[in-house]
Amino acid sequence: MSIIFDNVYKAFGPKKILDGVSFTVDTGEIMFILGKSGMGKSVTLKNVVGLLKPDRGNVFVDKMTINELDEDGLEGARKICGMVFQHPALLDSLNVYQNVAFGLRGIPEARIRERVLECLKLVHLDESIFKRKPPEISYGMQKRVSLARTLAPGPRYLLFDEPTTGLDPITTNAVNELIFELSRKLKVTSVVVSHDMGCALRIADRILVLDQGKVLALGSVEEIKKSPAQLIRDFLMEAI
Amino acid sequence: MKVLANFFHQIGGMFLFARQVKRTWLCTLGSNTPLVIEQVGSVGLRSISTVCFAGFFVGAILVIQLQLMLAQYDASAMLGGLNTSACIREVGPLIISFLLAGKVGAYTTAELGTMRVTEQIDAIRCLGTNPLQYLVVPRFVAIVVSSLLLLVFGLLIGLFGSMVVASWLYNINPLQYLQSVPRFCGGWTVFCGVAKSAVYGTIVASVSTYKGYNASGGAKGVGVAVTECAVYTNLLIVFANTFMSILLDGMHEIFTMVVG
Repeated sequence: MSIIFDNVYKAFGPKKILDGVSFTVDTGEIMFILGKSGMGKSVTLKNVVGLLKPDRGNVFVDKMTINELDEDGLEGARKICGMVFQHPALLDSLNVYQNVAFGLRGIPEARIRERVLECLKLVHLDESIFKRKPPEISYGMQKRVSLARTLAPGPRYLLFDEPTTGLDPITTNAVNELIFELSRKLKVTSVVVSHDMGCALRIADRILVLDQGKVLALGSVEEIKKSPAQLIRDFLMEAI
Repeated sequence: MKVLANFFHQIGGMFLFARQVKRTWLCTLGSNTPLVIEQVGSVGLRSISTVCFAGFFVGAILVIQLQLMLAQYDASAMLGGLNTSACIREVGPLIISFLLAGKVGAYTTAELGTMRVTEQIDAIRCLGTNPLQYLVVPRFVAIVVSSLLLLVFGLLIGLFGSMVVASWLYNINPLQYLQSVPRFCGGWTVFCGVAKSAVYGTIVASVSTYKGYNASGGAKGVGVAVTECAVYTNLLIVFANTFMSILLDGMHEIFTMVVG
């Protein structure tokens, strides 16, 4: 049970984004994907949930070949892979309760309410904000609600696409702590796309560094710290 | 040449998108009813004041222009019929669809475009919901239905406006004005107006949802999508108007020949 990238290629027009990327995310681990902007980090995540398809190569999630699934098949894959986007991506026309309950269907209303509350508590929020619309709460809270919405269907894999973008340092720390706490408490496998080496060093089990569409380095925090690659040295310097 | 190729590429894209929306709508018929009703209310309420305002003055302007010509032939008795016929067949659907494009079309493109660039559409897909079914179909159907409802409102207000002006400027009795209406506005005239409104409404719905749904490139991309929506909608409505006028006139001739 894991996420496997097998020699994945992806290009947009003449620009190569992923150029033969292969790696495995093991069950229960927190893997950080680091890299400069435009190096294919978000594209990697979107390939896992089938929002993008590779030009070549395969993406496996729990033995499902994601790139061969049609929309119906992808629905099943998306039930076990929850994705938290760079923007909170909440629906402005719905209130917080309706947003968190969006992915819950076919279960009794009382159970939905229970689950929504449970998920909001996991992200340190409560029912006092049930009726508020996304623009009426802070950006940090919107990010938490977005995380609660992703958690609601009970995914086994959590994919975070730059979850701390646009947040102040205190909220950034709080969100990072939350990722760590949830991954351990819910025993889910997490893949986090980020620029933040400091955070990766604190909470990641393994780090993957992408550069020019290729895997520059993949290893534990200690292994990454010892890497001689200039890009990784730059990231480490920035973290210090 | 490149501009022309891009234009036809866009038209093809819109056509395929509209077909996909239609399929999604037919596959999920009934399940979207509350969302469609909500959108019809929203689109209708957003446009009704503008449509009524424009309808009144369009009716008034047409009366002034027609009376200038009819008075020369001492045919002012036909003013009501000719004015209403022109409103129903041509001016009403055209003006209302332009207003709908400017107001609702632009709004829909901006709304869907913002949802696209802030990843709300991707989030909906990831949560197991088809965004075409949840976001596009209700808006698409609402725009088409609203264009027909707004046509009725616009025409009634236009008729009222033209009567007021005819009475005020030319001393034509409102009853006398209305008497000539049935002579010029039969079932065929109404059919032409309804058919044109439905086609123009479908154009506004197709272009605005297509442009919004496929927007990219942040705030600038949404701005570009809204501008393109306005340009393509107005151009396509003008093309459709020419084509439909020829087609409907041809159909009318055949119909008259067959019926005798």
